[in-house]
Amino acid sequence: MSAARPATSAIASVTSRRIRITQLVALGALILFLAGAPSVVDSFTLAQILTKALWLGIAAASLIFLSSYGGMISLGQTGIYAVAGFTMANLVHAAGGKHLGWDPLAATAAGIVVATLFGVLCGAIAARSYGIYFLMITLAISVIVFYFFAQVTTLSGYGGIRSVTMPGFIGNPITNPVPLYYTALLASFFVYVGIRYLARTPFGLALQGIRDDPARMQALGYNVALHRALAFGVGAFIASIAGILSVWYTTQISPGGINVAQTINILIIAVIGGLYRLEGAWIGALVFSTIDNYSRVWMPNVGDWLGPARFESVIGVIFLVIVLASPGGLVGIWESLWDRRKRRLGPVEPSGVPATGAVDEIVDHPAAV
Amino acid sequence: MPRSQRRAVSRRLCAVAVFPLLALAACNSNNPTTTSSAIKIGILSDCQGDFGSFYNDDLGGALAVLAAHYGGKASGSKPSDGMTGAKIAGKDINIVGFGCSDSTAAKAIEETRRLVEQLGADIMIGPLSGDEGIAVANYAKTQPNKTFLNGISGAQDATLKVQAPNFFRFNPDGAQWSSGLGDYAYNKLGWRTAAVIGDDYAFPYTSLAGFIAEFCSIGGSIPNSNRIWPPLGTTDYSSFVTQIPKNIDGLFVGVGGAGLITFLKQYQQLNGPLNTKHIMGNTFWPDPQLLKAIGTPMVGAVAASGIAGDASFSQTTAYKNELAIYPATQADAASVFTLGYWSAMTALGQALTAVNGDLSNGQKALQTALATTVVQGPYGKISLDSNRQAVFDNWIVQITAPPSGSNVPGIKTVLRVPKVDQTFGGFFSPTTPAPSRTDPTCTKKTPPPWVGNETPVDFSTGNVPY
Repeated sequence: MSAARPATSAIASVTSRRIRITQLVALGALILFLAGAPSVVDSFTLAQILTKALWLGIAAASLIFLSSYGGMISLGQTGIYAVAGFTMANLVHAAGGKHLGWDPLAATAAGIVVATLFGVLCGAIAARSYGIYFLMITLAISVIVFYFFAQVTTLSGYGGIRSVTMPGFIGNPITNPVPLYYTALLASFFVYVGIRYLARTPFGLALQGIRDDPARMQALGYNVALHRALAFGVGAFIASIAGILSVWYTTQISPGGINVAQTINILIIAVIGGLYRLEGAWIGALVFSTIDNYSRVWMPNVGDWLGPARFESVIGVIFLVIVLASPGGLVGIWESLWDRRKRRLGPVEPSGVPATGAVDEIVDHPAAV
Repeated sequence: MPRSQRRAVSRRLCAVAVFPLLALAACNSNNPTTTSSAIKIGILSDCQGDFGSFYNDDLGGALAVLAAHYGGKASGSKPSDGMTGAKIAGKDINIVGFGCSDSTAAKAIEETRRLVEQLGADIMIGPLSGDEGIAVANYAKTQPNKTFLNGISGAQDATLKVQAPNFFRFNPDGAQWSSGLGDYAYNKLGWRTAAVIGDDYAFPYTSLAGFIAEFCSIGGSIPNSNRIWPPLGTTDYSSFVTQIPKNIDGLFVGVGGAGLITFLKQYQQLNGPLNTKHIMGNTFWPDPQLLKAIGTPMVGAVAASGIAGDASFSQTTAYKNELAIYPATQADAASVFTLGYWSAMTALGQALTAVNGDLSNGQKALQTALATTVVQGPYGKISLDSNRQAVFDNWIVQITAPPSGSNVPGIKTVLRVPKVDQTFGGFFSPTTPAPSRTDPTCTKKTPPPWVGNETPVDFSTGNVPY
């Protein structure tokens, strides 16, 4: 930008002020909408679309954190959030499981701690692996967790744990979904801000260095495996929040809800939103939960190959289109439209964002995928 | 934060702001439009997951009732195409939608909520599988002004423990389907100590619990060490076959699905040909595919089933004729899934007629009428107990030699087990633990009321009383 002529620079400054106003308006609208959603939308949409999108978004954010800042695409996030959910559900009063009768908040804290420690342990195992091997190890984590809880009947069994006791401030999420919505909203906010903050700490910067060139970081004296394992622990902490919210959302948890299909769903959400853009987690989750609920109504019956039962096909086609047309997901499409508009308005500085924007560089790097 | 990065972040925040609004617009374009006097019904089944292939058989069972008795017109060749034009007690029946679950409790709840809260269903029929049933029954408690009829889910807890006053189940639970076999094993075959083997999840627990409760209450013994639970999805049963104790009088098999064929083949490889006086099975046994795969070694074995395949009641014929509107469903008339959904819609039609379509006052009149409704089922009458759970006649069937020109054994119904209730005469109660690997414990108690009261039947004579 240093070479920009003064006249061009003045135009750019007016343009960028206009853009900033647009951004502020959009941000204000978002805050207003999210805060006022319970009085705008019906309770069904609030619970089944928005609250679901918020907790699924947190689960996807844990994956996007690992992929965009650590270059690790993990399929283990479902397994980890299941550990948090099952730990919590076993500790409180419930039908099935150990039903130890702990205070729900203490059980929640215990669930998050256990899942985070489990994540660090898994990270320690997987940290030295890259690419397809990392993918397979993390997939194995999810599969092992699924079979563990399905077969250890004292902790769950296939039937799962039902009628899980809620903390007082949640109440009954089926009759009154508002408290859970705000809880999920607040959790999403802290997860988003927390990840952005972490990315700028020395740990976060070192992690991004490791993502871009582990060998060079090793040569500089960084303990690459330790950083990756700890990052996996951070991802597990985020996933465990999603795990707790998922139990509160359905008031139960069973192995059927944390199987390989759910593992893939979390990856699909991240890819649809944008695998290297944190905001994409919630956008992907919103699109996913909307299509999940409404494809069954919208979808016409065409012979045997299209109908309400074809939710997976619909989401699969969207997934393919996204992967082919915009590897940056929906946020990537949005960004390119935005850039085009700005180019039309006037010359502006390039928006290279090393943290989350350099998709091609990350994809090209052998450590990333 | 550098300016460029700040811009990128707020640019994406704009995206986050826009997408919820788009989604909201999409959702709101979808509100149902119906006449206010219409009775709105939602039907929930599984279109995905382990039981997804029965989706149209389930819907077909329910919709065929509307077509046969209430003037419903199919909107296409498949049940999922929908049905219009049905009227009960002069009121339009509006099928607001079909729930499409995947045998998980979470999805069943989401789909039920979509049908009830979004599409405004007054009455729900469904779901299909055990865990879903418990979840929906729990949800029913939060909607006391709506009425829920179970589809074909068979977990004991859904009615025995949850006890939602507006949840009605016109099909037996998994334990009831095994009734009569404990008595048969103890008194006809002389078993005293038995072993059981079943897949390690809810349905086999319940199914085997029915056998254990009856056999033990008469005086038989099935210690925990004689209960073997291979994981669901096992493909090699050899190590489980070798775990079956040698010092037993008989084995009750509750392995289901494709695993049953493998199990019986490997059992024969290790123990020689089946001794049908020492082995029997649950409701999975009278299955044409199994009979074809195992063949003549199964001849003579007995099993229990809610479906008497050779029944010749006028109601059996009427039932099959009702299903004619959907030929594929009619071909699966012996499916327990179709029967469950058919029974629910039949009961609903009768009760709605009785109350003249009155849904006022939180549907209390309809719910009272349902509690006393008796369904003339194809294999016997189905009524409800005080807990709104089906009381029905179960059947003991025996596998017979293949008819000439075939190598697939046939099935003959030999005993009627009358008036089977969910509690097994008090063995199960709301306070007993849910069936599991170790529950129920084997204790001698007052046997269920049907023990010793089973009546021999022979449908080939054509004079079996209904």
